Amino acid sequence: MEPRGSSGVGSGNSGTYTPEIAESLRFEEEIQSLIDPSFDASSAAGGSFTALLGLPANQAVELLHHPGPGEPPASAATDTLRLPFGCSSTFVERAARFSVFATDDSPASSSGGGLSPGLKAEPPDSDSPPTLPAPAGKPRRPSKRKECEKSKVSRRPRWGFLSRKAVAKKSKSAEENTSAAKPAAEENTSGDKLPYVHVRARRGQATDSHSLAERARREKINARMKLLQELVPGCSKITGTALVLDEIINHVQSLQRQVEFLSMKLAAVNPRIDFSGLDHILSAECGPLAVASGCGGGASDPAMWASDTAASTGGIRRMPAPPQIWHLDVVHPQQSSTVWENNGVAHPHFLLSPATSLVGYDPASSVPLNSNRLKTEL
Amino acid sequence: MDSKNSACGNPNPNPTLGPSKLMLAFRFLRALSLVHRTTPASSRTCRGRRIERAAYASMAYSAGTGRGWSRAVLRRLHHRARRRAVAPRRLSTTAGNRAEALRQLVPGGAGMDYCTLLEETADYIKCLTMQVELMQGIVDSSSSYGP
Repeated sequence: MEPRGSSGVGSGNSGTYTPEIAESLRFEEEIQSLIDPSFDASSAAGGSFTALLGLPANQAVELLHHPGPGEPPASAATDTLRLPFGCSSTFVERAARFSVFATDDSPASSSGGGLSPGLKAEPPDSDSPPTLPAPAGKPRRPSKRKECEKSKVSRRPRWGFLSRKAVAKKSKSAEENTSAAKPAAEENTSGDKLPYVHVRARRGQATDSHSLAERARREKINARMKLLQELVPGCSKITGTALVLDEIINHVQSLQRQVEFLSMKLAAVNPRIDFSGLDHILSAECGPLAVASGCGGGASDPAMWASDTAASTGGIRRMPAPPQIWHLDVVHPQQSSTVWENNGVAHPHFLLSPATSLVGYDPASSVPLNSNRLKTEL
Repeated sequence: MDSKNSACGNPNPNPTLGPSKLMLAFRFLRALSLVHRTTPASSRTCRGRRIERAAYASMAYSAGTGRGWSRAVLRRLHHRARRRAVAPRRLSTTAGNRAEALRQLVPGGAGMDYCTLLEETADYIKCLTMQVELMQGIVDSSSSYGP
């Protein structure tokens, strides 16, 4: 990793202090140089107090105890000063790592783990590797740090978390609005498995767990509304949820009224349905399917059945060629249905529990097989 | 009287494809002939109401028990069969809130959250459309061959 390489280059004197402090020092100077072009790295060596102000308290204290290494890091900083400007990715990486130090009180633990500080305002658990940016508002941090972080972060990936633990509410800082287009996914997948669900938030949107859940719910609702719009004729051109809902309600009402009207009509007419009639009804609905499944076998049997039913009705016998397929299979339901009707009269109060299939009908067992066969041909 | 669609108790084997038209037709026609046989010819409105109940029952059976509305329809039918109560099934949609109106229309809609309500409405509309087409086809075919 390049930051580590540069830190290796920079700190030749890693004896008395941890390399992270040196890196943070260098980083601080780089930031200062960004802010102020006239910033002199050498002045940081002597006036390291300004650099100290930006550091976390314990690191600053440690530096105070070891003031010696002030120069070498400064000189090293000049070497590495120009480096980040060439490639912004390393800069952001270092920014990310810097933010690790900002939020984590124990730099030692953060150095080993991934590049992700904990999201909670309390010090994170040592076993849960901290996750990436947007430090929760830590009021006790000096304000200078906030400015530095804001200025250094140009583009930073924004991750929201849907976790069941109590997540500290993020302060609505200016960083909230900068969501990244930068695919820094690798930074997030590093580390151990988290109990969080990582969701990439869109630009300009909050990443609260609540707002994420609400957004998911809204999207679900919108998807279902689109489906409904397609179902209801004439609804696609209507814009606006209220009008669409009105249309849907009207459509359902009209369908229910149609059912009532047709049932009244059917009560008056006693349809003598032979299965040639059934063919016609069904072929009107799914004509192309019946034609496509060109099974013409068993012509003799259908002929026999058709003549039977035609004799019973005495009406016009229609046997169009394409729906001939139906004769073959519909024969069996016809046969068993008459049996059922007789049984149905005998058992008028036979209630069905919807969840379980019925027992006791031998003909009943044959129908599901036939119906499955019919369905496959559909 | 609600036993017309008993037997064939398997829930819809292809829930993702939606209810099967043929099974719907089969069930409804069976129920229709049963109604015509059992009710006297004089009470046409009574027969009409029975046919309408048969239509909803066959719709619900074809849809299977995977759907909230079909379960609600079957529940309502079975309870009505026991108690012989006639309650208004279609309430007016003067509710200001459209979601409330939709809940009153779709069977079983009262106990659902909005998201599920939309999903059930879509399925309900599909099944209703199929039922209406079927009944229209029956009426057409029987009327075109009448005397």
